[in-house]
Amino acid sequence: MPLGTDLLLHESPDADAIKTDVKRLAAVVIKSARRYRTPLAMPLMDLTREKAALLHLLGIEEGENEFHFTEPPDTAALERFDGSLGGETTPAVHASTESICLVATQRDLLPMGLCIGPFSLMTKLLSDPITPVFLAGSGATADEEPEVKLMEIALELSTRLALGIIQRQIDAGAKMMVIAEPAANKVFFSPAQIAAGSDVFEKIAMAPNRRIRALLKGAGVDLFFHCCGELVDPMVRAFASLDPAILSLGSSRVLWNDAALVPKSTVLFGNLPSKQFYSDSLVSVDDVRHRSRELIERMREARHPFILGTECDVLSVPDCRPTILAKVDAMLERDDVAK
Amino acid sequence: MSPLEPLSQAINKGNRNDAKRLTEEAIGPSLAPRQILDALVSGMDEVGRRFQAGEVFVPEMLMSSRAMKEAMGLLEPLLVKAGVKPEFTAVIGTVQGDLHDIGKNLVAMMWKGANFSVIDLGTNVSPQKFISAARQHGAKIVGLSALVTTTMPAMRQPVEAIREAKLQGLKIVIGGAPITQSFADEIGADGFAPDAASAVEVARKLVAAG
Repeated sequence: MPLGTDLLLHESPDADAIKTDVKRLAAVVIKSARRYRTPLAMPLMDLTREKAALLHLLGIEEGENEFHFTEPPDTAALERFDGSLGGETTPAVHASTESICLVATQRDLLPMGLCIGPFSLMTKLLSDPITPVFLAGSGATADEEPEVKLMEIALELSTRLALGIIQRQIDAGAKMMVIAEPAANKVFFSPAQIAAGSDVFEKIAMAPNRRIRALLKGAGVDLFFHCCGELVDPMVRAFASLDPAILSLGSSRVLWNDAALVPKSTVLFGNLPSKQFYSDSLVSVDDVRHRSRELIERMREARHPFILGTECDVLSVPDCRPTILAKVDAMLERDDVAK
Repeated sequence: MSPLEPLSQAINKGNRNDAKRLTEEAIGPSLAPRQILDALVSGMDEVGRRFQAGEVFVPEMLMSSRAMKEAMGLLEPLLVKAGVKPEFTAVIGTVQGDLHDIGKNLVAMMWKGANFSVIDLGTNVSPQKFISAARQHGAKIVGLSALVTTTMPAMRQPVEAIREAKLQGLKIVIGGAPITQSFADEIGADGFAPDAASAVEVARKLVAAG
């Protein structure tokens, strides 16, 4: 199955309106699952919702796309955040939550929630999140470095917001939760620093996700963990240690090799190079067929549970839609042959 | 060992405090500002080489850029006084419709570290804004960044607009996660930089080619 809800969303001319309309959003998710012949009712992977929701809770009116923290929120803003966390939220978060209730009425579908991971959300709150992460990994503390202090505060706010959104989605009926952590990769974390023994990846990327995992475990909800970034093996092992039901990885990974890093209780998902589907010169329809066949065969040889999928959300690119759809059709056709 | 080697190493290792201290010590009657600048640029060039060799990664490059910025803060007034100018001027921005800036920021830092004068236009930049800035600042390079596939097609417009504006000697370099050489060829860009470290070399080669 492709991560293809965005493609169906853009079959309508008013895609943005659908994102805040509970009924229409649910209809898109249901249609997507049926189109791609899967029981997984994959939500829309819109990773802009949560930053907007966080700024809303802090009473920050500035456009979410432009805003970055330059200093920690003041006490009044933090009190507003704490007091409002369980209350009214943005239209986009409301729609994505309430649509799960409607999806849950479809008996043949698994209702799923989706939230950006805390680390990835934090990276959207700072203009340079990489430096404080590296400083922290080198041993700098919040007391020593204001940048580290700001990063830690932003990460805590992100984690608490994510936990709040996830709880809402569980209450709405989600039985599986997609946590999308695209930024937990080797652009933001130095593999050299990790190889030298720093626990920075565990402390900053994984610890917040372990809090989420505990919440999901307590509620009996499965985890679908997604990271399409460029990774090193210790990162994949760390993701696997969350005990996800499904682990979705990007096209830079060789999934049949990653099978050795991941327990068989975790299904591997991916990892066709959908970020290049817009161009036939980069990835042709025949390439998709060939790669699909190879993935299925090699994962069978590795004897690891596997779902053929795309490396990430297949975005609807202007002027490239037929090109992209042809490749999505090709991977579904391979899926049929494999059965 | 050159007396400025420890300064180059401080940049190379991303040690901001050492870079500042050693620059302060180097500034004086015996060394020309240009020599100190060359040592700093040499340190950044080494970081770029180590990145391409897979020895260091984006975070290390950022730390080196910070150290460079600290040192340049001390050196810049002396360079201006001595008439030492940046190699050339580059304009950079993320294309219209794209709000991602980390990759663009990294290239801007590496270009500054290589002693280019960089005019950073930010994100969601219209073609006209690229042209106006390039014209105003006499730029030799325009860098266009896009991070998501949905905004890649938007790169065609600034490339076409810049060509139509016929700015003498201006070269266009594109980059970003989904960008490839073949896409660069397809839309008529002069160069493609697969990462921030190579963006320095790509820009230098294009300008040298005239």
